[in-house]
Amino acid sequence: MQDFRNRLLMVTVILGLAFLVLGSRLWYLQVLKGEEFEKFSLENHIRVERVPAPRGRILDRYGKELVVNRTSFDIYAIPKDIKDIPYLIQSLSPILNLDANQTQKNIDSALKKKSFKPVLLAKDINRDQLAYIEARRSSLPGVIIEINNLRQYPHGDLGASFLGYIGKVSEAELNKNPKINNNDLVGKTGIEKGWESSLRGDDGYTQKVTDALGREVKSNLFLEDLQNKKSMPGSDVRLTVDIELQKAAEEALGEESGAIVVVDVNTGEVLALASRPSFNPADFIKGIDAKTWSNLVNDKSSPLLNRATQGLYAPGSVFKMVPSVAALNEGFINEEEYVYCPGYYKSGNSKFRCWKRGGHGQVNLRSAIVKSCDVYFYKIAEMMGINNLSKYMRAFGYGSITDLGIEERAGISPSREWKQKRFNKPWYRGETIVSAIGQGYVSVTPLQVSMMTAAVANNGKLLKPTIVLEISSYDGEEKFKHSPVVTSQIPVQQEMLDLVKDAMVGVVNDPGGTGRAARLKDLTVAGKTGTAQVVSLDSQSEDRKHRDHAWFTSYAPAEAPKIAVTVLIEHGGKGGAVAAPIAGNLIEIYKKLMEERKADDNV
Amino acid sequence: MIMFDRRLLKNFGWFLFLLTLAFSAISLLNLYSASYETGLTSFKKQFFWIGVGLVALIFISFINYRLIRQYTFYIYSFTILLLVFVLFFGKEVAGSKSWIDIASLATVQPSELVKISVILILAKFYDNDYQATPYGFLDLIKPIIFIAVPVVLVLMQPDLGTAMTILLISGSMVLFMGVKKWSVAFILIVVLGVSFYSWHYTLKPYQKDRIKTFINPASDPLNAGYNSIQSQIAIGSGGLAGKGLRSGSQTQLRFIPAQQTDFAFSVLAEEWGFLGSICVLLLYFMIILWMLDTSSRARDKFSMLVCFGVAAMFFWHVLVNVGMVIGILPVTGVPLLIFSYGGSSTLTAMIGIGLVLGIRMRKFSMSGEAIDLG
Repeated sequence: MQDFRNRLLMVTVILGLAFLVLGSRLWYLQVLKGEEFEKFSLENHIRVERVPAPRGRILDRYGKELVVNRTSFDIYAIPKDIKDIPYLIQSLSPILNLDANQTQKNIDSALKKKSFKPVLLAKDINRDQLAYIEARRSSLPGVIIEINNLRQYPHGDLGASFLGYIGKVSEAELNKNPKINNNDLVGKTGIEKGWESSLRGDDGYTQKVTDALGREVKSNLFLEDLQNKKSMPGSDVRLTVDIELQKAAEEALGEESGAIVVVDVNTGEVLALASRPSFNPADFIKGIDAKTWSNLVNDKSSPLLNRATQGLYAPGSVFKMVPSVAALNEGFINEEEYVYCPGYYKSGNSKFRCWKRGGHGQVNLRSAIVKSCDVYFYKIAEMMGINNLSKYMRAFGYGSITDLGIEERAGISPSREWKQKRFNKPWYRGETIVSAIGQGYVSVTPLQVSMMTAAVANNGKLLKPTIVLEISSYDGEEKFKHSPVVTSQIPVQQEMLDLVKDAMVGVVNDPGGTGRAARLKDLTVAGKTGTAQVVSLDSQSEDRKHRDHAWFTSYAPAEAPKIAVTVLIEHGGKGGAVAAPIAGNLIEIYKKLMEERKADDNV
Repeated sequence: MIMFDRRLLKNFGWFLFLLTLAFSAISLLNLYSASYETGLTSFKKQFFWIGVGLVALIFISFINYRLIRQYTFYIYSFTILLLVFVLFFGKEVAGSKSWIDIASLATVQPSELVKISVILILAKFYDNDYQATPYGFLDLIKPIIFIAVPVVLVLMQPDLGTAMTILLISGSMVLFMGVKKWSVAFILIVVLGVSFYSWHYTLKPYQKDRIKTFINPASDPLNAGYNSIQSQIAIGSGGLAGKGLRSGSQTQLRFIPAQQTDFAFSVLAEEWGFLGSICVLLLYFMIILWMLDTSSRARDKFSMLVCFGVAAMFFWHVLVNVGMVIGILPVTGVPLLIFSYGGSSTLTAMIGIGLVLGIRMRKFSMSGEAIDLG
């Protein structure tokens, strides 16, 4: 037996070693790696649920809600928690209009993948559907209701072109902002995009305890492991736009393609910024479907284009303010000098026509503006040359964006350098001549024309237009308040500007003025008409595409200017006949609105 | 039949008995926590089985082991018959026909009880045999048959884990008694050949998966590897002092698979930490040491081998089970004796302890028969 005792001793040693291995492994797992495994165990049973922060609202200048949020309810099913799948489908299909087979398939495939992810049953259900499901929740385990915030547009498509739309975040946007999550909706155009960082809230989260099957644990187990973070709603953006005026402007455009800009000439605040045709931002609320999107993109009438800021047009005669101010200020003309208009202008071997074939006879600066005589401007343009002219074009803001904060184009303010760079060709005298009447290379946006008009009206200050009046956080803290910014001072003497302003009054109020259609009874309107050729010569064509663009830009009241109104009707024909009455009408409406507001304030 | 001797009571192995009682208490506390969220069913059942087991333990310790030696072949044959019976009339659970339903009151797993009878029959074989040391292959034909019959029957259920435990226990005994080097080599070749054959022709895919997952648990984190990973997370997150009774998230939220049976140790390690789990390991270590000590004081080969066999049974269960839950051995479904919920394995462990206690009590008796046989 002694032999066995020795063997037993050896066995004891082996036993000791084996227990040492087990003990060491426990030491490794529990003491050395304890904290790491603790983290894994927390991740195991804590489910983080994002609480999306609502986007800030967009309001008009009087606080009227233009873009708000509404709560939406989405219905999901957690496959593992469903007790009786056929019963669930059978009881929910009729009320939620589910495709029973497809739903069964979705649930089955989620089960097969052992996925804890909820399966979407229905998005954005209505109140009746919600009430139905709420009432039956106890008999439908596994069904969850998720609350989301969706954009809502109380005024429909009004102002859509500057409010912009939202859409699923792109890869590039995702990389730029770490706070944005995959599948989030972000601003894609307009205010929604330009003021994304203000409108966007800070998402919060709640944590929930889940068991091994991914089911939420309802008892009070492990509550101490949980953390929550409140979501912070985005800031409200109050615009300078008066939605009533905006409505009037869009209605004035009606079925026409065109744009209307109304700005406050003293502050640069944009009161209305209409562009038609437009789109319905509601189509974008939950992410736009491919078909609607392709229809919008391929629509020949370009509904996604904001014509007021992105539409580039030849300005035609509304541009004549620029050569007028330039020639007066540079001393090439004075109000006494007359030019004879026989209906055309000859320069070298070229002949340039006035829009009035029979000619205007003797015209000075005032009558040339009032009657919109082209020959007068051909002459002064040739006198001062392109260098002087383009200097004043730039001074009035042409050729660069106004920095409104939404999508904008700069247009073209042509010059020798520009032509050299662009076409590698020298400048010709004839090009100076047509530039003076806003044709040729000149291209502008209606907003630029409006800012020029405001600069004339406010005695030479080119203002930076603004569309945002104020930004305040959800709890009312003011984060931004607009104050007027002067981009540049137009280099012009006051008495010379007064001559131009007086002529603009004449355009609307003199017998024979081209803009008489904008005349109002108890308010003096100053303005300038424009009829911009789209295709040379063939201006009376039957084909609408070849018809001229109708322009009218104006300010009022002439004595103490308050607002500038610019109207562009694409292929509308004569500016004086088509655009001027719209502008007059809008000024009238503005006046009434102000009177109503005053009356309300007094009450 | 049993005559009481004062010396018997005086020599009663109080130490092992108290260890067993302490152990039972810890096991029940652990199962209480592990089954609290699911209604304490297994806790209550284990409570019952530990009671039955302790009664069996005391009863068996008072039977003279020489009487047991006398009836060893009948005991062995009876359990083998049970194994055959279970193949035809057994209750199938999770794909294995391993259980006998006794009047719907309890289920018994004969494959657990057969471990005791294999220990007894091997002890008896070596007790009778005085000739060769070391033993050659031909000398071992009889014990190999004694081992092979239950192993094959258990494999037919199929219950890979239990068959392997029987092999490990009996293999330890055979090796302890000495085997010729060439015979060891021969047996190894046969075992490897059989393993190769089984891998290609008889193993079921789920069994192959388990072996594959053992080699690389991360390869299948959702299915087979899930158990191992979750168990290690539970153990590791317990840290030094543990999360406290009923406060282990891995346990209470059922991330630990089979937490009342095969993975009961993970529950302990999560809720009582390194300190708790090392204490339980030490308790096992002491139980086994005490059994080996009894073995070394035995007066005959039979009692020495029975003690050694029961010690081996405890050892392999601890090694294979704890090795599995801490992620250094494959997931095989071998319970931790007394600690894992399971009537038959608890009863088997208690019977084993009872046998060792009985032998210890009688180590001073000169002639057992004269005293104990009435």
